[in-house]
Amino acid sequence: MLLLPIAGFLLLALAGSRLEKMLGKRAVGALAVLPIAVAFGITSYLTQQLAGIDAAHRSIVMSGPSWIDIMGLRIPFELLVDPLSMTMSLIITGVGSLIFLYSTGYMGAEREYSRFFTYMNLFAAAMLLLVLGNNLLLLFVGWEGVGLCSYLLIGFWYKDLANAKAANKAFVVNRIGDWGLTLGLLLITALVAGTTRHVPDARYLSYDAILPELKIALERHPDMATLAAFLLFIGAAGKSAQFPLYLWLPDAMAGPTPVSALIHAATMVTSGVVLLNRMHVVFESAPLASTVICGIGAFTALFAALIAFGQTDIKKVLAYSTVSQLGFMFIGCGAGAYWAGIFHVTTHAFFKALLFLGAGAVIHAMSHNQDMRNYGNLKKYMPITFTTMVIGTLAISAIGIPGVFGFAGFYSKEALLGPALGDTNGDMGGVSALALSGQIGLFVAVLTAAYMMRLTWLTFFGKERWRTQPIVAEDHEEGAHEDAQPRLATLDSDPYGFFLSSEPKSVEEHDHALTSDHTPKEVSPSMWLPLVVLAVLSVGGGYVLENNGLLEKWLQPSSAPVTSFVPAEAPSWLPMVSAGAGLLGLVFGLIVANAEKFDLAKWSGLRLWARNQFGFDELMTNFAVQGGSELAVVLDEGVEVGLIDRIVNGSAGVAAWIGKVLSVAQRGLVRSYAVLMLLGGIAILSYMMLGGKH
Amino acid sequence: MNGVPLAAYLGLGLFMFCVGIVGVIVRRNPIVIFMCVELMLNAANLTFLSFARYRIAESSRVTIEAERSVMAGQMMVIFVMAVAAAEVAVGLGIIMTIFRSRNNVDVDELNLLRG
Repeated sequence: MLLLPIAGFLLLALAGSRLEKMLGKRAVGALAVLPIAVAFGITSYLTQQLAGIDAAHRSIVMSGPSWIDIMGLRIPFELLVDPLSMTMSLIITGVGSLIFLYSTGYMGAEREYSRFFTYMNLFAAAMLLLVLGNNLLLLFVGWEGVGLCSYLLIGFWYKDLANAKAANKAFVVNRIGDWGLTLGLLLITALVAGTTRHVPDARYLSYDAILPELKIALERHPDMATLAAFLLFIGAAGKSAQFPLYLWLPDAMAGPTPVSALIHAATMVTSGVVLLNRMHVVFESAPLASTVICGIGAFTALFAALIAFGQTDIKKVLAYSTVSQLGFMFIGCGAGAYWAGIFHVTTHAFFKALLFLGAGAVIHAMSHNQDMRNYGNLKKYMPITFTTMVIGTLAISAIGIPGVFGFAGFYSKEALLGPALGDTNGDMGGVSALALSGQIGLFVAVLTAAYMMRLTWLTFFGKERWRTQPIVAEDHEEGAHEDAQPRLATLDSDPYGFFLSSEPKSVEEHDHALTSDHTPKEVSPSMWLPLVVLAVLSVGGGYVLENNGLLEKWLQPSSAPVTSFVPAEAPSWLPMVSAGAGLLGLVFGLIVANAEKFDLAKWSGLRLWARNQFGFDELMTNFAVQGGSELAVVLDEGVEVGLIDRIVNGSAGVAAWIGKVLSVAQRGLVRSYAVLMLLGGIAILSYMMLGGKH
Repeated sequence: MNGVPLAAYLGLGLFMFCVGIVGVIVRRNPIVIFMCVELMLNAANLTFLSFARYRIAESSRVTIEAERSVMAGQMMVIFVMAVAAAEVAVGLGIIMTIFRSRNNVDVDELNLLRG
């Protein structure tokens, strides 16, 4: 199952462009989609097999050859098949194959078609490795692998400097998280290796071997547990875009839309939640860290939701929405409802992939213009996209009738917020930090519904603004898509890339612009088919998984609390309030959307502030990037030139000075040497004769 | 030894050595310098031989140690002569080469290595 995407990656990487010439794009697309679709089939089969096993034994380790085998530490290649890894694999391969299918349509006009699918396959392989690996080092390999693919895919249109910068930003910010994760792994290894008890085969990083030991070790050193939890959380926050490491995710929208859907909404960004689930022993042993996680999750959710109101780029709204939803997941995990985190990962994968793909379809139909201010009344032109997008909006807004039926988000959001709200520990001056986070979460649920309603309204209802209104200046347009449209013509007529070798922008400027007589068309079946499937999942997914606690019981073996720490019960009023929050948000969003001012100059200061991420991005950029380079300059001038160079040059200067002084003796006069020799001889002799007596 | 005292031999050696040193220092012709060096070496040889001779003459009876010191002194002289011969052979060769390349053997002019 893991091997299939790798095989697809290798095949496309080595022979992709040749195949593209030989067999055409269809064949490459099929080759790209096939491995992951087959992998989905295999995963489904394995899941069924696993479900047939008694719940207590639902954890199968498949050992492979040894990878690292040094004295006292053994790390084999080994895969773990358990409910958690299977759930994640189902999401990755299932939603993944839908997105792959969508990509064949979306990227159809792209020149470097096979390169795109090469990266996508590599990503799928790395992500599967991340969730399936049975030890933390394999998780780390997958972790870095998805980071790399994210970088490659954000920078897919690398000719545009902004994209390359966004890719670099994502990579660099992720490094900070990786730093935390690495330290966490080392700390855990040290802790486990430090216990006197025997770990089978010295596999200090394998889950099945260390999780029981870790619990004992952490109970012995509670401070170490807090430290390990914080380090792992830094790792998780980096990947899952939590404050303050969320910075890279909005910029990551520079990549192609299917990439945003697959990597930056459905799978990769959830790997932090997976990590929290896998290592939940650590977090349960560290209540302080868990509370902080919960608080940061709530803050991130609120922060990102507010920013979403200030965005005009359809993808940016969805990006901040993703950050916000990830914040929800961390609220749940921080409150101890680890399974709920995965539940929301699942439903979020459904509806966020749906929304992103829908947004992609809209962008595709609107000549790659991403600014919502230019949309309007698209329901007339794109009925399928419209219907599915509305379903996605309802799903993310957590609309539902308590006790009867609800969209996917309704159930998972409730599962996330319940344990937090139910917490009664007065650990913060009589107020429970967890409960406070839960209340913030409820408020953010209102905001979520509102900004999603705003997005839907601006896009699909109202006037056809691109006709009446002059095209609003794209102040920070991604500019990513100039490659996309006219490639097909040039590719077919010009196999040697004559036009492509010249500056591409000048050729394609006209095709890029959205003109006032533009007529949007519904997208092709390969693009709307995934939308429909995802819409069905967004409607029914939550209900099916929640029904009789299906997912909770399924995930029990890997997410059940192992310590005495038990997440609180959800308060009984939650479903009503949650449903009310969703509806309230929708109404609120409608008001916001109708009052929308399309000229940025007319916006209130607060809103512009939100648009600029409350100045946080700027602050971080100033602080980290400029501060960093200023520090580098200071180091260069002060330490490098001032100190080190002076030492090096100074010692050379001293040597030269000594040489100059001594060179006086080298007069080149043989006879004077003879005199000196004589004097020297006399001096030695007199010393021996006179001084020797003493 | 015919009544000539040791001091006379040593005085002669000292005189020859001083003549050699002064010659080496004041003369500019390398061949004359060579001759002066030879003079110094011969002064040293004379000193060796006279000490070797007078070592036996002073002691009342011929001992093994005295015999050995005589042999050592004479042997050193042979050494010095052999080395001097080799040195002259090499030195004259160098002087010839310098003269061929520069048409001049004045040692004051040979100052290529001046610092």
